[in-house]
Amino acid sequence: MWKPILEIAILWFVIYHIMLFFEGTRAIQVLRGIVILLAAFFLFQKLGLEILDWLLTKVFAISVIAILIIFHPEVRQGLARLGQRHLFGAGIREEELDYVLRELGNATENLCKNKAGALIAIEKNDSLNAFIQSGVIIDGRVSSDLIETIFTPNSLLHDGGVVIQHGRVSAAGCLFPLTENQDLSRIYGTRHRAALGLSEETDAVVIIVSEERHDLSLVYLGKLYKDLSREVMLSRVKQIMTAEKKYA
Amino acid sequence: MPKNKISIIYRVKHWFTYHPWLKAIAFVLAVMVWFYVKGEIKQYYY
Repeated sequence: MWKPILEIAILWFVIYHIMLFFEGTRAIQVLRGIVILLAAFFLFQKLGLEILDWLLTKVFAISVIAILIIFHPEVRQGLARLGQRHLFGAGIREEELDYVLRELGNATENLCKNKAGALIAIEKNDSLNAFIQSGVIIDGRVSSDLIETIFTPNSLLHDGGVVIQHGRVSAAGCLFPLTENQDLSRIYGTRHRAALGLSEETDAVVIIVSEERHDLSLVYLGKLYKDLSREVMLSRVKQIMTAEKKYA
Repeated sequence: MPKNKISIIYRVKHWFTYHPWLKAIAFVLAVMVWFYVKGEIKQYYY
């Protein structure tokens, strides 16, 4: 008796997490359609409607390949996330986080004043090692001066993003994947697109200083929080970084 | 200092309030899939 219960429980867990993963993406609409088709499929089977049952069986067989092709970006992002999880909690101590945020606050404020842009990714649970390889390794303690120097216009590393891991500036000039979100306003440039792209593939917190509008934005899990004050931005980053689960 | 600890009560409450509909649909689907596969296995192996 316990075996069916265990099997259903495992199936429930797996199906729920698949649905949770697609929640908030365009794939959820397709998933809803599949649920309706599945319900119809079972209904046809129970009523003994053979033709409709046969048709739906064939449609399902083809749709597996079709879904993989249509939703390959989502599937790729999902698999990338699975591979990037840290096996052991690689957190950052709170006093260290406070220090990093204070320095980041000073740096972003000065960069805004100096009309310079910046793109800073802070690692949370998903590893950013894959993106570090595209930049220049720094491995230095986070400081306002260091970040401002990196993002000084015309410096060799000012293009690309800075990656912060465990309270240290791991690398600068890193290339992040650009978002394929068509709904993003054209007023946002490559920096915002890169921040969104990275946040769609990982749970990193990304801070953006706009070179054109001289404002602060925050990106987390594919959501853009724009025109933030220094205090609001820092408190949100702290909230996200100290929350054990994904915070939206 | 480690990350903020989350209490068991919070976790239980969170489990019931976080996406309850998604959980219900996933459960119905899980039962449907289980019965379907069971039927298929019976059809081919017995």
